[in-house]
Amino acid sequence: MKKIIISLCLVLLGVFFIGCDGGTSDRVIIDFWHMSPVGSESFSATKQIINEFNESQELYTVKGTGFGFWDYWDKIAVAISSKTAPDIGFSTIDDVPIRAEAGVLYNISDLIDADPDGIDIEELYQSQLDFATYEGDLYALPFTATTRVLYYNLDMFAEVGLTEADVPTTWEELHTVAKQLDVDEDGVIQQLGFDPTYGNATYHGYLWQCGLDFFDDDLNPTLNTQKHIDVLQWMIDFNSEYTRNQLVAFGDANAMLGINVFAGERVAMIVEVDGLYQIIQNAGATFNYGVTSIPLPDEDGVRVNWGSGFSVELYDNRKNEEDQKAGAWEFLKYLMSKEVQKEFSTANGWLMAHQEAMEEVAEGNAIMTRLLEEVAYARDKRYVPYAPSWHGNDWQPYYNQALNRELTAEQALAAARANYLQKKENWEATH
Amino acid sequence: MVKTSSVTKLKKQENYIGYLFASPWLIGLIVLGIFPIFMSLYFSFTNYNMISAPTWVGFTNYRILFTNDDLFWKSLGNTVYHVMIAVPLGIIVGIALALLLNSKVKGMSIYRTMFYLPNVVSVVAMTLLWLWLFQPNFGLINQLLSPFYKLFNLEPLGWYLDQNMSKMTLILMGLWTAGGSMVIYLAQMQDIPVTLYESAEIDGAGWFKKTIHITLPLMTPSIFFNFIMGLIGSFQVFTIAYIMTNGGPSRSTYYYAYYLFDKMMNDNAMGMASAMAWILLVMVLIVTIVALRLNKFVFYLGEET
Repeated sequence: MKKIIISLCLVLLGVFFIGCDGGTSDRVIIDFWHMSPVGSESFSATKQIINEFNESQELYTVKGTGFGFWDYWDKIAVAISSKTAPDIGFSTIDDVPIRAEAGVLYNISDLIDADPDGIDIEELYQSQLDFATYEGDLYALPFTATTRVLYYNLDMFAEVGLTEADVPTTWEELHTVAKQLDVDEDGVIQQLGFDPTYGNATYHGYLWQCGLDFFDDDLNPTLNTQKHIDVLQWMIDFNSEYTRNQLVAFGDANAMLGINVFAGERVAMIVEVDGLYQIIQNAGATFNYGVTSIPLPDEDGVRVNWGSGFSVELYDNRKNEEDQKAGAWEFLKYLMSKEVQKEFSTANGWLMAHQEAMEEVAEGNAIMTRLLEEVAYARDKRYVPYAPSWHGNDWQPYYNQALNRELTAEQALAAARANYLQKKENWEATH
Repeated sequence: MVKTSSVTKLKKQENYIGYLFASPWLIGLIVLGIFPIFMSLYFSFTNYNMISAPTWVGFTNYRILFTNDDLFWKSLGNTVYHVMIAVPLGIIVGIALALLLNSKVKGMSIYRTMFYLPNVVSVVAMTLLWLWLFQPNFGLINQLLSPFYKLFNLEPLGWYLDQNMSKMTLILMGLWTAGGSMVIYLAQMQDIPVTLYESAEIDGAGWFKKTIHITLPLMTPSIFFNFIMGLIGSFQVFTIAYIMTNGGPSRSTYYYAYYLFDKMMNDNAMGMASAMAWILLVMVLIVTIVALRLNKFVFYLGEET
């Protein structure tokens, strides 16, 4: 009996060591973090892309680790901080300089110089490359692209005798068309033409269209001009025939069920990100719709939309891991190649950074083609070190108070500005 | 002499073995407990964005928080409001439930289980559930109250979407888990000697007098325990606001721990967040020390008076 147990243990030990070897003992392991965890829709495709790379390699093996979108950011931040970051991973492109300055990213420009044919930089959007640049060198590459557009429901247009030719191009037209599409019964909203606070429309997006911003070139908060007040007032007054409660309830009714209010055919027009197209596709929606540029304030308005995207970065854990660095660079070249970018787009429904790849994916697809056109006008938010979440947590309470008419537009903007100024002063006191 | 020396050796050996067996816990305490506590104290005197190395700024973080940060005081005010109402209300509801469930009614164990059940539900799930129930426009609570609103010609309550109601909504939601303290009260109630009630009955005392003069005084140890634990827990209120209200509307549910979290995760200001954590610790310690002075009003059964 004793002999049998010992033999069994030895066999198990042997199997364990064979398992550990995995046939890749002489290969360098490259850690790659992504946002397609086991169970997600894009997991299989991401795994397939990694496997294809591994099969083509003799020197490196990429080990992919997927985290859910909302978990990813804390995980990568802690990993960078504790010098246990993966060799290659995704992050946000607008704050690349903060990581570059801290010395946690490898200089991509140096790698490109040493291997000029590795990545075709010309295929990437210059606006995105600018965000990934620190002191003249690239420290990340744009991996995906995002854009915001106006989605419009043509079936709803047809019901009131409108056609695609009536799709608004200015704020004034937007208001006129939207009012024709409003439907309510006894004061209860049944259908809404448009609301400037729905979807992914933002106050700073509308400001950009007017040639304004939250901050000046020295990152001092502005917000105190009459034009800033006018834009916010326009948003507040757009659907003034309804109370804020009614508008919130109408939007919430769908949002709480996880259904986009446009995909649920409740609003006729909405400003949304490119991802909504994929959502509508996945839901198997049957209504007719189109996408176009976000209407401009007037003829002098700036054609711009808030776009962003993930960056792909090589992390330097300051352990002189030259083999890891070389392997991560090989994998980065593979990820940025046209074919892999196409595969990622098909698998995830993402707009990718590689222009030619996306043109091929979008060929024959009117909506995708239109979305891609808008990427050229996308602009990312600025990174403000003293208020990294200036558009989110810092701004939202004042924005909501203005929308709820608890504060006037002027009061809300003044209060928000005072908050930014205080944050700036406090930040400067510790830097 | 030889005998004493071998006993000392044996004692030492026993000590070593004791430390060896306790080492998993000791290592855990030092590495996962004491080390982070002292690191956070160090970080509180630095500017640390979690990427670059921390830089020493002395007491600047503390000075800023106390003298030039409106949100610090706003979030602290919200938290104190929550503590002042949620803690006493939680005790009252817990005791009331315990009194109700201490009677000899058929199927009592089922009722006790039902009231305790919310404590085994995750806070996230509970909050999402109440988010639906309190939804002002189509939530079940306002639907049930609609005849009442119509009768008195009232506007439906905005619950967590109304800045004047939001803190109270979260407190009311928290009462759903009062069953947790109820179990402790119930256990203590059942420890009260029946003879005390019997002699009170002989003296003609009714249910109310027995409750006031016997039950409640003898429950003070558990009331005191729940009070202290409630105080400490309430100062750290975070999850319900994070999920249900995002700190809104108009920062009305922006609690201290929420601001601390934002400082760390959104402003990348780990130094400032650490300073906030230490201020919270000192505040909770002071409040707890003051609260412990109430111990003189606690009646421990069997203690000599």
